[in-house]
Amino acid sequence: MTSVTPASFTPDEGLPRPQSLVDAMGPALDAQETGTSLWAGAFRRLRRDPSAIVGAVIVTIFVLVAVFAPVLAPYEPARTQWANQITPTTLPPFSAEHPLGLDSFGSDFLTQLIHGARQSLIIGIVSTLLGLAGGALLGGLAGAFGGWVDTLVMRIVDILLSIPALLLAVSVAAIVGRRPEALMIAIAAAQVPIFARLLRGSMLRQRGQDYVLASTSLGLRRRTIVMAHVLPNSLGPVIVQATLVLATAIIEVAALSYLGMGSPDPTVAEWGRMLVRGQERLQSYPHLTLLPGLCIAVTALGFTLLGEALREALDPKSRR
Amino acid sequence: MTDHLVEAQDLKVHYPIRRGLVFDRTVGHVRAVDGVSLAVPRGSTYGLVGESGCGKSTLGRALLRLEETAGGQIVFDGDDITQLRGEPLRVLRRRMQMVFQDPMASLDPRQSIQSLLTEPLRVHGLAEADREEFGADSSASHLAKAVRMLELVGLPRATLEKYPHEFSGGQRQRIGIARAVILNPELVIADEPVSALDVSVQAQVINLLEDLQDALGLTYVVVAHDLAVVRHISDRIGVMYLGVIVEEAPADDLYAEPLHPYTITLLSAIPVPDPVAEASRERILLSGDLPSPANPPTGCRFHTRCPWVRDELCRTEVPALREIAPGRRVACHWAESIAAGRLAPDADAVVPPRGD
Amino acid sequence: MSTVVGGAAASGSVGGGPLLSVRDLSVVFGRRGQPGFTAVHHVSFDVAGGEVVGIVGESGSGKSVTSMAVMGLLPARGVRISGEARYRGRDLLTMPDRERARYRGAELAMVFQDPMTSLNPVVTVGTQVTEVLHAHERLSRADARDQAVDLLRRCGIPDPARRLGEYPHQLSGGMRQRALIATALACKPKLLICDEPTTALDVTIQAQVLELLVELVRDLGTAMVMITHDLGVVAGLCDQVNVMYAGRIVERAGCHELFARPRHRYTEGLLASIPRLDGDRSLPLTPIPGTPRDVVAWDRACAFAPRCRFVTDACVRGDLALAPLGPGHDVRCVHPAGGAAPGAVTATIQEAP
Repeated sequence: MTSVTPASFTPDEGLPRPQSLVDAMGPALDAQETGTSLWAGAFRRLRRDPSAIVGAVIVTIFVLVAVFAPVLAPYEPARTQWANQITPTTLPPFSAEHPLGLDSFGSDFLTQLIHGARQSLIIGIVSTLLGLAGGALLGGLAGAFGGWVDTLVMRIVDILLSIPALLLAVSVAAIVGRRPEALMIAIAAAQVPIFARLLRGSMLRQRGQDYVLASTSLGLRRRTIVMAHVLPNSLGPVIVQATLVLATAIIEVAALSYLGMGSPDPTVAEWGRMLVRGQERLQSYPHLTLLPGLCIAVTALGFTLLGEALREALDPKSRR
Repeated sequence: MTDHLVEAQDLKVHYPIRRGLVFDRTVGHVRAVDGVSLAVPRGSTYGLVGESGCGKSTLGRALLRLEETAGGQIVFDGDDITQLRGEPLRVLRRRMQMVFQDPMASLDPRQSIQSLLTEPLRVHGLAEADREEFGADSSASHLAKAVRMLELVGLPRATLEKYPHEFSGGQRQRIGIARAVILNPELVIADEPVSALDVSVQAQVINLLEDLQDALGLTYVVVAHDLAVVRHISDRIGVMYLGVIVEEAPADDLYAEPLHPYTITLLSAIPVPDPVAEASRERILLSGDLPSPANPPTGCRFHTRCPWVRDELCRTEVPALREIAPGRRVACHWAESIAAGRLAPDADAVVPPRGD
Repeated sequence: MSTVVGGAAASGSVGGGPLLSVRDLSVVFGRRGQPGFTAVHHVSFDVAGGEVVGIVGESGSGKSVTSMAVMGLLPARGVRISGEARYRGRDLLTMPDRERARYRGAELAMVFQDPMTSLNPVVTVGTQVTEVLHAHERLSRADARDQAVDLLRRCGIPDPARRLGEYPHQLSGGMRQRALIATALACKPKLLICDEPTTALDVTIQAQVLELLVELVRDLGTAMVMITHDLGVVAGLCDQVNVMYAGRIVERAGCHELFARPRHRYTEGLLASIPRLDGDRSLPLTPIPGTPRDVVAWDRACAFAPRCRFVTDACVRGDLALAPLGPGHDVRCVHPAGGAAPGAVTATIQEAP
């Protein structure tokens, strides 16, 4: 029965095209872009985007420095030397052994900066992952079930959202105490509502799409539709946001440690704490403040550039 | 008695209008479909026309049990499926499929065409008739069936590795159609199947739908706003206005002799690609806009805009959809008088032919 | 009534000449120094006072870009426009922005497909109509309001005084389109460019809006450029029709002539492929094969050739011109329907085996 081929329907191939025309047409439009999935296409656009490349380079350098900090850093971060040469007004000058000099406590400044990257990365990434996990769980529940689950979850999120992020972080730190985990939980807690709302909104938008109705009418199970179609299609904006949130998380790590919520161990290098310590000598040794500040800004910029480029690459409107 | 594949009796679909700060409360209903009865004979094409907001798409989806019904009955192949849910409904879905208006939106952009086409087979398995030809369910037999479907809709095998965004609108619609008929369904509901396509491509898809009907013995319900398209492919046409069917007739009769005032104005409003016919065409213009389906007018729903409106009955009595000639059903109190020319439309509404 | 435009373009003289004369208009998208995409190529047409000229084509044919270029609405960056568009002898394309802005609204107006995006959502309808009146005429507030009410009423908007205070989102689609037409007409333009004005509307509303436009042409003598994909709208409204395909005009004729004797294979195919309400249902439709994406660059062959049933080797030529095939009937085709091609073209035809 199905072997009947419609007669009056003319597929493209059935056209009597003279060879000269085929030559003039050149390679078909279809042939150039064969089987490019959305993600592959986004990645290709990303590679062509200069700001994505700059962002990716910054992020890569940052991650490499953080991961290989013990190897790269010339000294142990806790080691102090030449303490006798440090006075309230003078520090030892730059030297071959200490290219960026020493800080007020006699630690090698370059070592401090490198280990600071490690601290920022670990706390930043872990907190963002925690925030993403919590937010995705809440948002996913609301988006998948809708109805009263949605109402309940979103009211909780609204309450979370009405508390200023930094204040929330400080309160969490106050409850849990001064530990790196406290910082992570604090920053993650502030991110949960962002991810929850984003994923829920994204899923609701996808659920309204015709392909979901098409899947229902094909008789797919509800679970399959949500897990195999709605969720993957909703992740784009969430991934973009996670990249952007990493930038804010790194700034927040610095801000909290600047406010004294960082590690209780004074020998652990943190960019935020370096800022505080450098402040005292801002007039005489501005590099003690400027360099950690620059590190924070450049790293945040790297993640922002990458995130914005990702957003553009995943935007369906910029497709082809 | 005619063998009807799908029937609706007094079918209603109401959308709640919700308001509320913390908890939503229902403050009213949009009566998208408000008491529709129709029957579609097996192997035929039923066309549903009307303007946006008339409920034609909702009715189409309701027939497939994709909308919650607020009342009435849907009978599919002799069985009442109105209350069917869960697993039995899911299993039944292989017998009834849908073709969508926007093929870009109705195909998951992340899936390759191969995955899109074989997904229904992975869920339901091959149809009985196909087992003989393609063998038992396996990814190889599913792939073979998918290739056969592509041939049937006129697309090359290389299509399988590509993704929806790599095709033109017409090609995507062919993929959507292949996906809808891959399970060998009996009923296909096509919701505006060509309106998103370029004019030069529309005829390809219309012909494809007709050829597939002949080849596979499909029963169609075609929902569209373009009366010329619906008239071309339908055997019977139902004209909808504000949630109800106001007239139902065989396709040729509807154009030759429209009976309901709304059908008359609708037909007179459609421009014809022929300057000679255009110059001699009398137009009857409707005043105002479609009333809100949340609060439809009393009596006949069309009375607020009807150029033939009378003081008696129209504003108070709801006209029943009654059979006034064999095969012709119309919901107008004055249909016979209008047909006989005893009632004339409001002179302000009539625009004389433009002449030349 | 209609200005006949030959293949050799009619001169765009000032006195007594056409109201709008577009000559060799080309629009190329792409940064300077890059090859770019030619959306419109050497398009020429004239519009006489009180005349309705149609531009028909599918999405991507360049019909909308043509009108945007004439109105100066294309972005300055990344777009190269050449040729001229003379309105009463003054070239709109080279005119300074301020001068063009004076023309726009006062003498030239445009109606778009989507009234929701072309009306400002945060300003009341009344303000948007009176704004135009104020911009071009010195009027007191009360006078402007009276004129606006009158204008909305003439455009078929019931209860216009109340509508003045409403925002665009409070109006239905049809009302919005009428409000947009009212703003376009506020200063009685001599030329109205309509870009798919009824595509987003239902047929009964479309009929109302088209009727309104017909009255305008008849009563005010407004000239109109009607850009649409709907051949039915063209048949009922236009005097002169230009058919565009892949950025070029492929056929041009008077309306009756075009529908009675379509010569270009694309026009012919289009007319055969659309179901007609008054046609014979038993006859199958004859579709145009392929998709509008199956194109070949015009400078190598006829762009329609990949979809044409009559294609031969002779179609593969880069210099296919829009040539006169009859009085007032120009066609860009090697094998036109219903008869021989113009001499210049036939000379090189070699029949395909």
